[in-house]
Amino acid sequence: MDKQQEYVLRAIEERDVRFIRLWFTDVLGVLKSVAIAPAELEGAFTEGIGFDGSSIEGLSRVSESDLIAQPDPSTFQILPWRGGHHGTARMFCDILTPDGQPAAADPRNVLKRALAKAADAGFTFYTHPEVEFYLFQALESEDDPLVPVDNAGYFDHVARGQGHDFRRAAITLLESMGISVEFSHHEAGPGQNEIDLRYADALSTADNIMTFRSVVKEVSIQQGFTASFLPKPLPGQPGSGMHTHLSLFEGDTNAFHEPGARYQLSPTARAFMAGLLVHADEITAVTNQFVNSYKRLWGGQEAPNYRCWGHNNRSALVRVPMYKPTKGQSVRVEYRALDASANPYLALAVLLRAGLKGVEEGYELPEEAEDNVWELSENERRALGIQPLPGSLEQAVTAMESSELVADTLGEQVFSHFLANKKQEWRDYRAQVTPYELSRITLI
Amino acid sequence: MRPQTLTGALARAGFADTARAAELLADPALQGADDGAATRLIGALGAVADPDRALLALVRLAETEAELGTLLADGGATGGAALSPADGGGGGGEVTSPADGGAVAGGGTSPAGGGASDTESDPSPRTSGPARLLALLGASSFWGDYLVAHPDQVAVVLDEAAPAPGPGPADAAQLRTALLTSVGADPHAPVPVAAVRAADGGVDELRRAYRHQLLAVAAADLASPDPQALLPRVGGALANLAAAALDGALALARAELADHGAGVRLAVLGMGKTGGMELNYISDVDVVYVAEPVEGTSEEEALPVATKLAATLARMCTMPSREAPLWEVDAALRPEGKNGPLVRTLDSHLAYYRRWAKTWEFQALLKARHVAGDARLSQDYLDALQPMVWTAVEREHFVEDSQAMRRRVEEHVPPVEADRQIKLGRGGLRDVEFTVQLLQLVHGRVDESIRQANTLAALAALTDAGYVGRDHAEQLGSCYRFLRVLEHRVQLARMRRTHLLPTDRHELTVLARAACVDGGEADALLARWRSVRRQVRTLHEDLFYRPLLPQVARLSASDVTLDPDRAKQRLRGIGYRDPAGAIRHISSLTEGVSRRAAIQRQLLPVLLGWFAEGSDPDGALLAFRKISDSLGTTHWYLKLLRDSGAAAERLAHILSGSTFAAERIARLTEAVTWLDDDADLAPRPREAIESSMSAMVARRRQAGQRPELAVRFVRRRELTRAAIADVLTGVPVATCAQAISPAAEVAVVGALGIAQRSATAKLALDEVPSRFLVVAMGRLGGAEIGYGSDADVMFVHDPLPGADEDVAQRWALEVATTVPALLGSTGSEPPLAVDADLRPEGRQGPLVRTLASYAEYYARWAQGWERQALLRARAIGGDVHLGEQFRELIDPLRYPEGGVDARELRELRRIKARVEAERMPRGVPATHHLKLGRGGLADVEWTAQLLQLQHADAHPELQVTGTLAALAAAVQAGLLSARQAGALSEAWELATRLRNANVLATGRTSGARIDQLPGERSVLVRVSRLLGYRAGHADDLEQDWLRAARRARRVMEDVFYG
Repeated sequence: MDKQQEYVLRAIEERDVRFIRLWFTDVLGVLKSVAIAPAELEGAFTEGIGFDGSSIEGLSRVSESDLIAQPDPSTFQILPWRGGHHGTARMFCDILTPDGQPAAADPRNVLKRALAKAADAGFTFYTHPEVEFYLFQALESEDDPLVPVDNAGYFDHVARGQGHDFRRAAITLLESMGISVEFSHHEAGPGQNEIDLRYADALSTADNIMTFRSVVKEVSIQQGFTASFLPKPLPGQPGSGMHTHLSLFEGDTNAFHEPGARYQLSPTARAFMAGLLVHADEITAVTNQFVNSYKRLWGGQEAPNYRCWGHNNRSALVRVPMYKPTKGQSVRVEYRALDASANPYLALAVLLRAGLKGVEEGYELPEEAEDNVWELSENERRALGIQPLPGSLEQAVTAMESSELVADTLGEQVFSHFLANKKQEWRDYRAQVTPYELSRITLI
Repeated sequence: MRPQTLTGALARAGFADTARAAELLADPALQGADDGAATRLIGALGAVADPDRALLALVRLAETEAELGTLLADGGATGGAALSPADGGGGGGEVTSPADGGAVAGGGTSPAGGGASDTESDPSPRTSGPARLLALLGASSFWGDYLVAHPDQVAVVLDEAAPAPGPGPADAAQLRTALLTSVGADPHAPVPVAAVRAADGGVDELRRAYRHQLLAVAAADLASPDPQALLPRVGGALANLAAAALDGALALARAELADHGAGVRLAVLGMGKTGGMELNYISDVDVVYVAEPVEGTSEEEALPVATKLAATLARMCTMPSREAPLWEVDAALRPEGKNGPLVRTLDSHLAYYRRWAKTWEFQALLKARHVAGDARLSQDYLDALQPMVWTAVEREHFVEDSQAMRRRVEEHVPPVEADRQIKLGRGGLRDVEFTVQLLQLVHGRVDESIRQANTLAALAALTDAGYVGRDHAEQLGSCYRFLRVLEHRVQLARMRRTHLLPTDRHELTVLARAACVDGGEADALLARWRSVRRQVRTLHEDLFYRPLLPQVARLSASDVTLDPDRAKQRLRGIGYRDPAGAIRHISSLTEGVSRRAAIQRQLLPVLLGWFAEGSDPDGALLAFRKISDSLGTTHWYLKLLRDSGAAAERLAHILSGSTFAAERIARLTEAVTWLDDDADLAPRPREAIESSMSAMVARRRQAGQRPELAVRFVRRRELTRAAIADVLTGVPVATCAQAISPAAEVAVVGALGIAQRSATAKLALDEVPSRFLVVAMGRLGGAEIGYGSDADVMFVHDPLPGADEDVAQRWALEVATTVPALLGSTGSEPPLAVDADLRPEGRQGPLVRTLASYAEYYARWAQGWERQALLRARAIGGDVHLGEQFRELIDPLRYPEGGVDARELRELRRIKARVEAERMPRGVPATHHLKLGRGGLADVEWTAQLLQLQHADAHPELQVTGTLAALAAAVQAGLLSARQAGALSEAWELATRLRNANVLATGRTSGARIDQLPGERSVLVRVSRLLGYRAGHADDLEQDWLRAARRARRVMEDVFYG
């Protein structure tokens, strides 16, 4: 028993915690939770909690379905919405095989492997996500119409806005769980909000995103709303993305920063961006994993859908934000296609590996896109060599299928499971008859 | 003085250049050196490492320091003893016994543990001042130059009464005071700050003060007649001195900051040799920094300041200045190594070690010790981290990690240096340290007494606590001291960081004299050095494994026997999963008075180590016991193992790695002899196997002798040979074609001969009525069967002219029925299943047909799948001419002119698709089935066969029966790209090797599991090791298979389905 585990046991005693939720995610990024009593925790630390992996999406091979969830004590947090007394706490778990090896199919392990690969090259990976989501009046059933909680726009201050209270409550909870919030504001769509999480290492970021989604859902229920991270809930309104800022550090120095270079971008940063652009279509099935994700990408309203980069160009897939000359450490690049429905572990892993591939191979960064690429004609874009992202989940799956990079990043098991799952999703979707089609019923 | 006499005296004293020496002796600087004094001086110089060097330095020194000549002359005049350590060192009163020096470590008191008392006397021998000076000048050109540049320092050497700094805490305090004072810092201040800035001479002051003390250590060391005894003191003193220098450098670093970094507590922990109080004269000083903000300062403010302090501190030691730099300050042992932040807070350190640290990092922590800066913070660090060191052994990958560390000890030596390396490589200093540290980690969790940072102290503690035999420990300690003294002497010569023996003959002689090796000869030194390295290697086994032997099996009175709990700790620490069972086997193997037990007592410690390197140490030990039980009294068996290191190591490797091979060896005693000779392990040509088989069968012509058992024995023998070679060479795919398939073919041929004779006899015929042919089909046709494969065949006969066709058919049927029966019946020899299901009409068709019947059938009925099956047809036994005729019959079928037509092609594809959907066994993921899964053998083979059916007529190079050959031919014919063929071959080869490895690992030759990637973890681990993956990399195998299969499948979908 190490000190951190002892600390957790002590905290549980002192805070009178009655339940401990052990959290992990399946391959699609759905949070899974096992509750145990404090008495079982010591055993969970030393031996883990056994469970049947075959019933969790993508987690285990059929021949070996027993898996072990081992809590990571450094992720211990009291769940504030459960109340101070007789509280509930949570820890994220690593998934292990019965003989104690990290399970290949554990998304957390996928990200850890990618981070280890970066560490071998001398890098640590820092990320900063801007999570967007919609708040609707509470839905009783899935058939209810979506009624946004307000009608405001970007950065609007809404007097006595319910979203205001909501963001305050959510942020308070997040902060009380040790997740720093950088920024929060009303987004462009009605009822749409954005909350930015502070810069953190990628594993913490992924854990934080999982926690964040739970907190937002919890608070929305408490306040009588329905919160959703669905990438495109309202046609004609902006979708919810998760623009994510990325940077590599070498020890304490930002490897993306080179004073005096164009946009302060080091050759490492440029090669990393080139990697993102070259492999963007292969990783899109992971960063934008649902049928609906492509409604956001291709449904208008400023979603990045062309593979190009720019400085302060909102239409670019990879954006170099304005830099503050004094803050060399803050040089970073922003990947704008990602949406908040992704499995954050897998998504950050593929982004990292795509960028690293560019660094390893010394990819050449193409010319900056200075125009708004949405306003260019098809042929202008072709002339400039700007390719579109996949137009549908099906296209994205096809692109991913031939990607050695993604196979290597996810590991063969997760890779093949993910593909099978997404192909099934596409088949299910294709079998739907939508209101759009039915709207023509009288015409045809 | 007559010149001849002088030259003779000089030569006898060991001068290389006597003429120059005579000139130097006459140098006016050595005033007062009359004849008598000169003779005494020559005599004294004869005792130093390099008289030429010493005399030259002496003259240069005397030129600057006029009194020196007088002093030497006086010293010489007042008593010869004073000048000559050799004369005075005969146990005289003024020379303290050097053995006291050894007591620092040998007595079990640890310098690092604070055991050394303040009042401990300095046991370095009181050699006279002039003799000390000569010894120093003779061994080190650096110090000669240094004294010429700093003549005031000569007094340090000459003052024989002044004690040299030692390893105790009082010495540490004195040194710290001296070095802090040198830069004007108050040693008693809570946070000393230098009064002199670095640029204003502070750096030089510090370095001069450091070298002042270093000179005293070196002078005492070099003057000692028994440097090995003094070694622990020297290492401790050097560590104390380095610590003091770091404190001084920190004081200088603080002075560079405006507020002296007042908001920061910075502690410097010594690691490695600095931490272990066993430092070299010149080597990197390993440190780790811990910082905490002073109350009122935030962590965010404090850490950058602390980082700056640490970086400046290091610069104070290394930056160019008038006085030469000290040494590199190396902080690479910190969390995350060179990628991690230079300075961390205590919490940050803790978080890292809890979450990320590897076994070797804990091993490094074993030596951590406060050396400079905030002592209280250091203590907090040690209190928090030391307990973690001792639980490292419980961590998941301890065994794999420690084996990997062991390999690192042995690797990493550039070949050109291998013959000269004192530190690295097998038998080097690292090897000694590894042995000691591994023992500490294994037993230190429950026994605090062995938690020592110092190598010799730890060894002594391990001995005292009964973990290792005293004799062996003392031998190891002595090896260690010898190697360290060599290292020190090599470094002292020019104060360079080197761990290499010189190549130059003269320098080797100088080194031999400096290290006081018997005779002072270069050859003696090299001989001793080589024997020490050999000894270190065997001592690892003696220290680690010999104490596992039971009490009654002790070889000498000083051997120890671990009690059961300790033995279990140790066995578990090296990877035995059932230590209790292992202890039982060890007892049984080594107890008793038999010759066998006596030899096994010698062998077992080494074997235990080799077993532990394999994937199943427990199984290996059991298998060894079984072999020993059945073979132990065979005269050559133990002799071979004892006398051939290679055979014993290979046997251990095989027993630990392969159940199949272990069982086969146990049943075939001669196989043990093959281990000694690679030629015996090479696959034997089919003709050789066949003739040995024929001879054995010929000797069993009598009734009731069952000659088929000889046939089957020959196959077993060849499979045993193949299995051994496979285990030793990573299960190459070629074994299938070169050994396993020929063995099956010979067995079929042998059975055919027996069957023909018995059928002829049974039908009461005078002679055979028909020519008979066995055609190999399927994988046997491609010469690619594995250990667990059936032999697919077809039988053909052709009645001889004049023979009755009915009789011929009955006879042929009898033969065709008898062959599988002879080979497949259960019995003492392993069976070979002979399967004729690929014949026309399958199981419904007659077992054997005439050539004419085949012709008729194929002309009328040949179907797509039969063409496909015939692609692999290859005559392997029987009538050669009939084989030719059969081939002529089938070639137009299997290599159809213009390829198969569209209908047949469609049918072929449809059958494959249906097989994929229906034939997959339930319960196996499609990705994990080696034969029928995606990208498995079937995918690759069908693809190759489709190309053959379509193109073999136009491209005759495609007319081959082997899959790999067909793929290669397809590339040649431009039908596949090299990349496509590569993807297909890679998956096919890996699947084939995996199937063989499955058999080798488990010993099971039948069952569905052979055709799957192992689902059971322990089997996967074993299989991965057999295939050449390193320990702990079983998951790589799974990934490699899934990747290869995925790629092969993509190619297959493109090429086969089109």
